[in-house]
Amino acid sequence: MTKHFFILLLGMIALSSYALAQETTDQSSHQSTEHDHSDHDMNDKDHDHGDHSDHADHTDHTDHTGHDMDHSAHDHDAHDHSGMAHGDDHMMDAPGDHSELHGDGETHTGHHGDHHHHHDDGHIMDHEGSMIMGQNFDKLPSSCTSISEEIEITVRAGTKFAKKFPGTTFAFDNQEWRVKPCSKITWHFINEDNIRHQFMMHGLPRYLYHLGMFHLESTGPRKISGTMIVPAGDETYLVHCDIAQHMEKGMKAQLVVGNGGEDLTSIPGLTPYVLNDKYETEDLPKVADKDDDTGKDKDTITKQVTDFFNENIPFSGMAWIGILFGIICAPMFTRMIALRKKEEPDASS
Amino acid sequence: MPIRYFIAILAFSSIFFAVNTQASLKLPATVKVDPAALEFEPMCDPKISPSWRKAQVIEGVKIEASEQCSPDNPHLIAAVVKGTNNVSMDTLMKSGLSPDAIIKTDDIDGDGDPDRITIKLEIIELNGRTPDFEGVIPTFDIAPGIQPGAWVFAPKTSGMSTENFESLRANSLLRLPSPVIRVEVGDIVQIVLENTHYFPHTIHLHGVDHPFSHHEYNGGKYGNDGVPQTSEINLMPGERRVYEIQPRQPGTMFYHCHVQTHTHLAMGLAGMIIVEENRPNNWLQTLNVGGGKVRHPSVAIKEQFDQEYDLQYHAMDKELHEIIQKYNDPRLIARDMNRRYDLTDSTEDYFTLNGLSFPYTLRESMIIAEPNQKIKLRMLNSGGEMVAIHTHGHKATITHYDGVEHNPAAQITRDVFDMAPAQRLDLTLNTTNDGLHNYGEGAWLFHDHREKGITTDGMSEGGSMSMIAYKSYLNELGLPKVAHGIDLSVFFTKEYYQRRIPIWQDLDQTSSLGAAGVRSGMDSETRTTMLNLVSGFLVGILIYLVIARRQQAKAAMTSAISRLKGLKGSKAND
Repeated sequence: MTKHFFILLLGMIALSSYALAQETTDQSSHQSTEHDHSDHDMNDKDHDHGDHSDHADHTDHTDHTGHDMDHSAHDHDAHDHSGMAHGDDHMMDAPGDHSELHGDGETHTGHHGDHHHHHDDGHIMDHEGSMIMGQNFDKLPSSCTSISEEIEITVRAGTKFAKKFPGTTFAFDNQEWRVKPCSKITWHFINEDNIRHQFMMHGLPRYLYHLGMFHLESTGPRKISGTMIVPAGDETYLVHCDIAQHMEKGMKAQLVVGNGGEDLTSIPGLTPYVLNDKYETEDLPKVADKDDDTGKDKDTITKQVTDFFNENIPFSGMAWIGILFGIICAPMFTRMIALRKKEEPDASS
Repeated sequence: MPIRYFIAILAFSSIFFAVNTQASLKLPATVKVDPAALEFEPMCDPKISPSWRKAQVIEGVKIEASEQCSPDNPHLIAAVVKGTNNVSMDTLMKSGLSPDAIIKTDDIDGDGDPDRITIKLEIIELNGRTPDFEGVIPTFDIAPGIQPGAWVFAPKTSGMSTENFESLRANSLLRLPSPVIRVEVGDIVQIVLENTHYFPHTIHLHGVDHPFSHHEYNGGKYGNDGVPQTSEINLMPGERRVYEIQPRQPGTMFYHCHVQTHTHLAMGLAGMIIVEENRPNNWLQTLNVGGGKVRHPSVAIKEQFDQEYDLQYHAMDKELHEIIQKYNDPRLIARDMNRRYDLTDSTEDYFTLNGLSFPYTLRESMIIAEPNQKIKLRMLNSGGEMVAIHTHGHKATITHYDGVEHNPAAQITRDVFDMAPAQRLDLTLNTTNDGLHNYGEGAWLFHDHREKGITTDGMSEGGSMSMIAYKSYLNELGLPKVAHGIDLSVFFTKEYYQRRIPIWQDLDQTSSLGAAGVRSGMDSETRTTMLNLVSGFLVGILIYLVIARRQQAKAAMTSAISRLKGLKGSKAND
């Protein structure tokens, strides 16, 4: 009997601690979704199309494989590496980085798309180091009769957005976007790191999008824009950066169309991992008197787990187990005592 | 009544043991592994177009033939020779490089080749962990089924890190070893490290003429020696740093990460960097991805040699390379790598040549020779222990140690080449059949003669073993034609390196050295167990009988005693 009780007790405790850990995750996800809504900004509406003329000399080299490429050789000459003449302290780089130095970090390839949108599966890459795949301005998915709304969404990518998710390295500024079915979305992808990042969406209808992909890629800190149209069905699409370990270490999000489909796994702060790491307490040196402060910087989940077994805290997890155990066992004890008392007179009589 | 049972059990067990002894006289038959049970990989990677092997000219870049079954992508070679800023979009797309990967400009000395070179490197994890499924991504097999977690400096690429969305395999530019870099004496070279990885890293240019710091880049915050304790701060994820050099001396050198070097170097952040002599019109193959044959050698090499090969020897400890596959949280990986892994207790398990172990070395790291050639071999040992490379059928001459020419009069010709960790040797392989430099044509092995170096985690044949194969000994796939009856295909199975194939089963008709089956009867161990069980059972019955028939026994006893007493009594009475 007592054995059953003990097993039940252990089970309860295990569950409750797990629930607590989950709860903290949920909280952060709530935060991010709030953040998400506020950040559905369309601040780039003022994009004028006036600078199209600058790019009028962009030549089209049509690839035999059916990709369209925008190889801006002239463009390249125009930018040139004039920076290099200034001395060796300047970084010699692709012209794209130049424009960045001059405070113009924006790539206009998205607008070039206006010229190219009649091509299938637009695969546009330029020497500024930006790539757009699967751009679609006007081809309606077969499930749509018309475009429901035209929206612009800005997505930022970088290590700084991973700070709020302990145990990750890279992240987007949002982990989820919600749009109406048949929306025409112009994505403004801003890479805030000094390395390459991608905004890659999968699972789109293949008759419209080559390999079912919509893809924006930026080789460095700049902005790139691309437009696509989502189908009518309630579906959740994977958005990630495919550079090795970027998705695994946090750069993963989902686009929810309509009511959405099934949630994707391992989105930081939003959905649980399929495979979880095992955390254990380490014997780290501590300033004994300042125990109360040490826990402050720890992330909530790790704190939950480590504090649970921490002997130094007045009411550690183990103490709580003891209290719970006491409360549950107390009636049993009293009963046992009562029974014994009853038995005793019986025995004496 | 019970006595009868007892006798029956005794009889049964005696018969049982007799039968068993009879069976044990015959030894078990040989069990042969049916080839149909094996998963054979194609010996040559079918995804590589045979047209890549031919000598060709792309974008005006002459590319030598490469008879290997996995030759380097000629479009990639054209792109790195011309620079990604000087090739057509078509070539760029076929190369897989990022448009800003290799930028070549400014012929400063007016000798017909560019002198300002920017090389962008990313850091890529191979065979890493994912929280979404059991398994690793992107995969890179060093031998069939062998996928150690690794980090490499990789050329800056474009697009997905896998072949495509359906595949888990790494795209061909993301691989071990870190690419061989070639620059010219006098070039102003900027190596831009873009840290795409989740840990801090740097680059140390071992042996290359480089200033300790350069031009107060970013207020002197960043050095040029790659050492986080002295020269610069760690380069964190998402950041980039420029290392700038203008080397004055040629030679075969080494570059590697200098953050937590004891693990980061072994993880694969180590490659060759070669400074070539300055010559007019010297458009260099800035990167040799995967090492091996240089298909667009420098002007100075072409003056003296018929061919050139880059050969990087490396070694890995399985336990170290598993760490990144155990956890997803970078903090836990850091904990295990920095504080729990003990290099002083480690043993090396995997031995690679240009990132691969036998049999994959045959795909792309053979030296393919013809008689009467002079072949330049550049070797680096990036492993943690000494190696002793032995060339069958040849004695080669050591011309340079650590990139510095050895006194020509004192140069040594030998057939075992020992290299300490980080050491480089330049060899001249002379294929003149004179009984000294070469003993004739063939498919000659060259391998590490520390015998563990020819194993993959202790399983031979494996390791860094490769071949010096003469063209007359190559088949149409570019693989060595071996003697009749020899089949190399068994090495191209996972099961071989899982140690599940009895390697001598096909040596003769009767498979006399194949795997032994099991006995038809009981093996000796089971028999002993059974014997113990049966005897225990008998003892148990005996005890039962004694206890259950206590009364009878007592009665029998008392009657016996009384009878005895009676006897005595009667005697006494007498």
